[in-house]
Amino acid sequence: MADGNGSNFDQFAAGVFSNNPVLVQLLGMCPTLAVTNSVENALVMGAAVTFVVVMSNLITSLLRNLIQPHVRILIFTLTIATFVTIADMALRAYMFDVSKKLGAFVPLIIVNCIIICRAEVVAIKCSVSRSLADAFGMGLGFTMALTILGIVREILGAGTLLKQPVLPAAFVENGHNWVIMILPPGAFLTLGVVVGVVNHLRSRKATGGVA
Amino acid sequence: MNLGELAAIFIGVALVNNLVLSGFLGICPFLGVSRKVDMAFGMGCAVTFVITVSGVVTWAIVHGPLNWVGNAVFGDPNSLAFLKYVTFIMVIASMVQLVEMYLKKFFPSLYTAFGVFLPLITTNCAILGACLYIDMKEETQHLLNAAVYAFGGGLGFTMAITIMAGIREHIRFSDVPKPLRGAGITLLVAGMLAMAFTGFTGIGK
Repeated sequence: MADGNGSNFDQFAAGVFSNNPVLVQLLGMCPTLAVTNSVENALVMGAAVTFVVVMSNLITSLLRNLIQPHVRILIFTLTIATFVTIADMALRAYMFDVSKKLGAFVPLIIVNCIIICRAEVVAIKCSVSRSLADAFGMGLGFTMALTILGIVREILGAGTLLKQPVLPAAFVENGHNWVIMILPPGAFLTLGVVVGVVNHLRSRKATGGVA
Repeated sequence: MNLGELAAIFIGVALVNNLVLSGFLGICPFLGVSRKVDMAFGMGCAVTFVITVSGVVTWAIVHGPLNWVGNAVFGDPNSLAFLKYVTFIMVIASMVQLVEMYLKKFFPSLYTAFGVFLPLITTNCAILGACLYIDMKEETQHLLNAAVYAFGGGLGFTMAITIMAGIREHIRFSDVPKPLRGAGITLLVAGMLAMAFTGFTGIGK
């Protein structure tokens, strides 16, 4: 699916659903777990990663005939580091509060395996339009997975959604909110369950809905 | 800079704020290389080495050349801060290359056992993460503190991944629901481990 058959739209859709970077390929776990304690953080992180993966795929794809195979990883890493620096400065300038909450996880986009994996698997061999379609698909798939986790954790942990209360006030006031969901263990548990559900849905699809 | 402060930093990063279980760094190898205890331990040792050396070298670069040149040319020690990320990742990549060459020459069997995971240490976020935290935190602005922080972080990673590998060796014999096999159950176990590690909260600082 990811290796160059089908239309650009198929490539895009694969990144969002059947080849989702987080829920199916299990790449880019660190930010997925770390920043999903609220939906806002998840969305900003998703946007930053989408920006970096799009720009890195664009540059790699434009330079694909010039890059020598043995220095390609170095070139990928430097390209990614440059765009991450830009994204980090932009976040600090325009969204200072969120940038503070994300902390080290913005510069850590440099070592997000999704981005280097897309450069290696797609951008280095494919045309610019296909690389861009792939990058937008992966970025959207990543953002979607983060948002799902963020929704579950924010509702159960704080009783809110995008800072608007959604559960009855008594839930939070009487201390019934699951604080553990905002703490680190909640991230592991939620992602474990979500990955399990996705696996279950995929196996049902593969056997035609029988299992 | 006394012994108590160093001990507090060490316990803080190795147990209380364990890089893997409460900092969410280095999750990829934590899930990927934790099938066997000996592999996990070897991976932990390699990461500990790279993390310690890179932590010290990046500290030295930030406090040395970047500050001096920034000060001399632009009159502000922080004016070259935008070069930090690129510098950090270059230092880490060269350190990993060094470890790789060393292992290839002196421990060829270990080298083949690691396979593709060795170069992947470059993209292990625990290492870049530790370097970034050393750069951000107040208490790691001394060289010795930075070195202890990096080493403690590496040991904490080794501990977490080895415990995980020990548990996974036993999970192989249990009847796990089919959709949860592999990554799902590993993440759930990691969640419980993280819960256990929250028990350290309050020790040190």
